Amino acid sequence: MNQHFLKKDCKELHAFPHIIEYALKKNATIQFDSLKKEISSCLRFYYVIDGRFDWVINGQSHILYPGDLAIVAPGQSFGGEKDFLDIGTVSWLCLGIQQWDSDGGMTMGGWSQLTDSECSAIGKFMLVNGSPIVSKLNEAGNLFVTMHNEFTNQEIGYVVRINQLIDELFILIIRHLMRQNNFRRDFPQAFLQLEKTLRENLSHQWTVEEMAALVGLGNTAFSERVKLFTGFSPLNYLINIRISEAIKLLNLSDMHVTDVALEVGFYSSQHFSTTFKKLTGYTPREFRKKNIPIED
Amino acid sequence: MECIITIEIGTGAIRVVAFDLSGALLGSSAGSYPTFHERPDFSEQDPEQIFITMLYILKNFLNEKIHSKRIKVVSICFNSAMHSVLPIDKKGIPIGNAIAWSDNRAKREAAYLKSSGLGESLYKATGTPIHPMSPLNKITWLKNNDKDRFAASKKFLSIKTYIIQQLTGEYIIDHSIASATGLLNIHTVQWEEEALNHAGIVRGQLPELVPVFYTPKGLKKEYQTSLGLHDKVKIIAGSSDGCMATLGAGVWGNGKATVTLEESGAVRIVGKEVLQDKKQRLFNYLLTEGNYVSGGPTNNAGSVFEWYAKQFGDFKRVFDLEGCMENLIKDAGNVPAGSQGLIFLPYLQGERAPIWNADARGVYFGLNIKHGQHHFTRATIEGIIYAFYSIGKTVQEHRNFTSLSANGTFASYPFWTQLMADVFNMTVHIKQNAGPDSVACGGFLVSVTELGMYKDLEHAAQKVKLVDMFLPRKQDHAVYMKHYPIFERLSAKLSEEFALIADLQQDD
Repeated sequence: MNQHFLKKDCKELHAFPHIIEYALKKNATIQFDSLKKEISSCLRFYYVIDGRFDWVINGQSHILYPGDLAIVAPGQSFGGEKDFLDIGTVSWLCLGIQQWDSDGGMTMGGWSQLTDSECSAIGKFMLVNGSPIVSKLNEAGNLFVTMHNEFTNQEIGYVVRINQLIDELFILIIRHLMRQNNFRRDFPQAFLQLEKTLRENLSHQWTVEEMAALVGLGNTAFSERVKLFTGFSPLNYLINIRISEAIKLLNLSDMHVTDVALEVGFYSSQHFSTTFKKLTGYTPREFRKKNIPIED
Repeated sequence: MECIITIEIGTGAIRVVAFDLSGALLGSSAGSYPTFHERPDFSEQDPEQIFITMLYILKNFLNEKIHSKRIKVVSICFNSAMHSVLPIDKKGIPIGNAIAWSDNRAKREAAYLKSSGLGESLYKATGTPIHPMSPLNKITWLKNNDKDRFAASKKFLSIKTYIIQQLTGEYIIDHSIASATGLLNIHTVQWEEEALNHAGIVRGQLPELVPVFYTPKGLKKEYQTSLGLHDKVKIIAGSSDGCMATLGAGVWGNGKATVTLEESGAVRIVGKEVLQDKKQRLFNYLLTEGNYVSGGPTNNAGSVFEWYAKQFGDFKRVFDLEGCMENLIKDAGNVPAGSQGLIFLPYLQGERAPIWNADARGVYFGLNIKHGQHHFTRATIEGIIYAFYSIGKTVQEHRNFTSLSANGTFASYPFWTQLMADVFNMTVHIKQNAGPDSVACGGFLVSVTELGMYKDLEHAAQKVKLVDMFLPRKQDHAVYMKHYPIFERLSAKLSEEFALIADLQQDD
């Protein structure tokens, strides 16, 4: 296997504006400061083919062995434990993500076949998962090998193929993370975590897909489990939380009703008022007025 | 047709159940809400979320099962978990989340009070063991540790008080929920002045005391409209989940006790006299005038088995925890009674009755080279049941009982119920096909007694039919009685080591 190193300005990458770096590197000597700890501006995947690598990702030390894959999200720090690249063989891919939010919400851009909502779900799940290391993901190694061949040979259709392989890589990682995570054993725990995430960003237009991914389940299984566990469909459960938070904002602040609506995730104050009245019997304005001082 | 609706505001879910006037089940619906643990000792719930979940579930249930069949709702009875505290400001708006029953933040306040002379006299007056769970200690905690919130609190409600106030405008608390606050004198049925002083509050800061049959003036117009209910629908104050589970299981009078097997559990009896336990191990809740539900609670019932299943269960064959637990229970059946000398102390979450030791921890004892995983599984269940037996024995120091009635999620596993019968050496009754849950049944009996269909709850309780039963097997009982004394001795003997290890765990 030949070494290969492509950087953003290489002509091989002209057809791939989203790829910032692609490499297959066999490192035989240690060079000081060859891998300094830096904040990453792109989404990085590293796959270890041979050797042992001591890295620090997002402030945590990790040891990677052959078959392991590391994920570095934009904004996270990454580098060698001793600021150099250890001896061994590693393949990596750095992607410029069109839009990346600190909670993992992302859009990848037109090259990907994944929908925006899927991308967002993937990004969020990668962050929620906790560890940036996926161990023993040999299938990722196969994808890197195929990608390498496509770059080298540049046969007809290679651009499409490589973009597909990157999508494949995302799908492989996310499905693997979902399967190995412990949430299946403890749905109540996973659901509590999800509820926390929803409440932290209630104004976001959550989709079932995104919520399911955060718990590590497919859409159908997720909806069934939520229904069984809470008595509500995922979206109705979300409405419960939105209205509960709205009640607090109406009670405790002077916020305008329209702002309350947007703050808790309704797309219009009209929709908010109708839903609110249907459930509580009051319009938001009436509800606010009904709190009067308690007599002694 | 007419119907009675009961609403249980449980520890994690709202359950709405409808009965016709003869007690036949018409339907039920449930919706859950979370408990937040902002700090390890904290357990809080969002009062608005509970209220909205209740409205949502009730509204859909009425539309689908009641209004669509032109059934007329006679009354709605509210029963809830005990020990919650919700401070509200001068406009009636909640200040922060409700402090749930399981919240442990007041452990220092509880320990301090328990070791004082005041603690002893308060236990005698209120019948509630001095424990972090009781609102007495929770409010004291607020006074000592959250001064701004305490100062801004116009009133301290229970979650049920808040829900009923939202619906009717009245701030009320029924006698049984009130008697679980540690603030009510269960002999005079008035707020206990010494307890109020200790907590730093005055009578006016607590809801108005009412009997379980009390009906507020009526449902607010807005809710009549949104729920599609007429203005004559009675709202009934109702009782606590613990008292209703006891009443709904038909337990009343001598010779009977009930065992509730949920995440946590309890052994309870009903009687005319307060059990004055010198070691303050038993609670006494006032159900109706002169009738007390007494007994002891355990922290470690179903939750401990769920912990075991999550850690050691096989999830390759099944998708969810329920399936996994069922397989484990089957496995446990492969091991003889007594788990061949493996004994488990289930105190993973500290323990309440009878040892009342928050530092107690889990122990597998007697492990030898022949024990396999199935032994652990069986020993785990046996240990949980031994803990119930130890509460039962404590109750029996005061009043004897000769039969049990079991309810709760884990009572629906025949293996558990049989084990209960064998350990206690008593017949264990359960409802046929599990039936509607006991809490809802108790709520139904309160509702129809309020309607005048029964003279009192004692007569209503006789109506409960418990068809299915598990008979004790003498041979197994003999085996368990060889192991149980070791369980009991370990629970007491390890007290010093429990304190040491709990102290070490505190640092993690």
